[in-house]
Amino acid sequence: MDKLPAAFGQNFSGASEDFLALLRRKGLLSPAATPKGFTSADYFGVVDPTVRAPGPREQSWRPTEATTILAFKFSGGVLVAGDRRATAGNTVVYDRADKVLEVDRHSIMAIAGVPATAWEMARVLEHSFQYFRRTQLQEMSVDGKVRALSKLLRDNFGFVMQGMGMVVPIFATYDSNSNPEARLYFYDAMGAQFEAADYAATGSGSPAVRGILHYENHWGEKPLKELDENEAVAIALRALDTAAESDTATGGVDRTGKIFPIIKIVSRDGIMTLPEEKIAAVFKKSVA
Amino acid sequence: MIEEPYRWVEAIANRREYIETQLASGSPIAAVGYRDGILFLTLGQARQKIFEIYDRIAMGAIGHPGDIERLRMGAIELASTEGFTRSAADVSLRRLAHYSLSPVMKSAFEQVYGPPYLARLLFAEIGLQPEEHLFLRVEYDGAIAANGATFAQVRQDFAVLSGTRQSTELMESFLKAEHAPGATFEAALKTALDAWSIGHMALQKDDGKELPERAAVTKHRQEQLATTGIEAAILERNANAAIRFRALSDKEARALIGD
Repeated sequence: MDKLPAAFGQNFSGASEDFLALLRRKGLLSPAATPKGFTSADYFGVVDPTVRAPGPREQSWRPTEATTILAFKFSGGVLVAGDRRATAGNTVVYDRADKVLEVDRHSIMAIAGVPATAWEMARVLEHSFQYFRRTQLQEMSVDGKVRALSKLLRDNFGFVMQGMGMVVPIFATYDSNSNPEARLYFYDAMGAQFEAADYAATGSGSPAVRGILHYENHWGEKPLKELDENEAVAIALRALDTAAESDTATGGVDRTGKIFPIIKIVSRDGIMTLPEEKIAAVFKKSVA
Repeated sequence: MIEEPYRWVEAIANRREYIETQLASGSPIAAVGYRDGILFLTLGQARQKIFEIYDRIAMGAIGHPGDIERLRMGAIELASTEGFTRSAADVSLRRLAHYSLSPVMKSAFEQVYGPPYLARLLFAEIGLQPEEHLFLRVEYDGAIAANGATFAQVRQDFAVLSGTRQSTELMESFLKAEHAPGATFEAALKTALDAWSIGHMALQKDDGKELPERAAVTKHRQEQLATTGIEAAILERNANAAIRFRALSDKEARALIGD
């Protein structure tokens, strides 16, 4: 017998509970993992696993974030792009993965890392934001959303230290009440959030992408912020193709299979997913 | 004392009378289907009465704010956890009302030593087709009235909620006569507003068993619009977005009414 009516029990907790706590109370989400060989004091240290004090359970720790995700602000909002390849070691598992996920009408979470954890995080976030809006009768603030993702990453950090489930996301959102209206954040695996002024990149192919975006922003024909949509898409495609050139874990553009990266744009009007034909046209004109 | 059957029945009857009195002044809410969705409408300025429950479910309520809030939170909680663990498509208004809300409200009502829920709720769920619109009214005692979703009944593409039975029945008979399924949004908005006016007029006088004259309805509507705000929300059957609920501002609604 389902215990649904129990939700109306005497100790009904009211409005202050967030969705994460609700899921945990109902046993629908595993509790936050505690890193092995860690004390709580270590949480406040520098997030660099290589300088961790040697403990009895020392294990090799290797980031697994085989992907390339990039995002930058342009004249029409924030562009977020990701390649489609999913790998396990040297094997390409899937070539149509979607790593650029919509979590609400104006927010995108793009992920590098372990898909199982990342997709679950996106799902939790999506429901948390909606749950907040429905129960509190107001939209969650940008800061609240950014912090919610940060908390999920921190709760997951125990698993990361055990060598599985690392996620390093980018979060892009648009809020007409804030200044600037377009907001872009990147995170480390432990949940620290950093607001990007112009661009952000994550994943194994990100060093190359960061180089390109920095170069374009400073010495390109015009700064990223002033690009129109076609120019922005061209730069995103060029950057992903460059990353794929040296990083085997990045799919770039599959010319034979006609598989293009996922590109989404967040603006005041919401999120727009660029149709494949449009990406193909820009690719043919400015990249290939 | 209350263990004696007669006393219990008496206590329940008293309680019913008490709740009916408490709810009697509740401003009506009309929910009507239109070509591209479902419209919820009421007038008032005290507090919000129309709420989003889940992607495809909206709720209107009259009653005590504390009780409405508890029921609303419970409904959102159930729908959200179901939608999270399974999928949004598995969240169903029928189950929410029949398996969760109704039993809880019934037992609160009949346990005479505990407080009942002082609330009357109106739910709508938007389907893929206009014929799949589901409207449910859940009473404080757990009774459920649906828009004829079973067997060979004639389905109604509307539902109403009001403070008294008489007001509710007048609104229903008005909508039965006036509301055309597949109406445009503007037409549905005007019909809903007239239905609200009829319901509101019936709350103010006890003798009205017949539908009032059209001119009187128009006059009442205009008087009310001059002093109170329109609260409206729609569930849109737009396939592009998962979330179909949208609140309409007073300004937006007035622009469409045009009087």
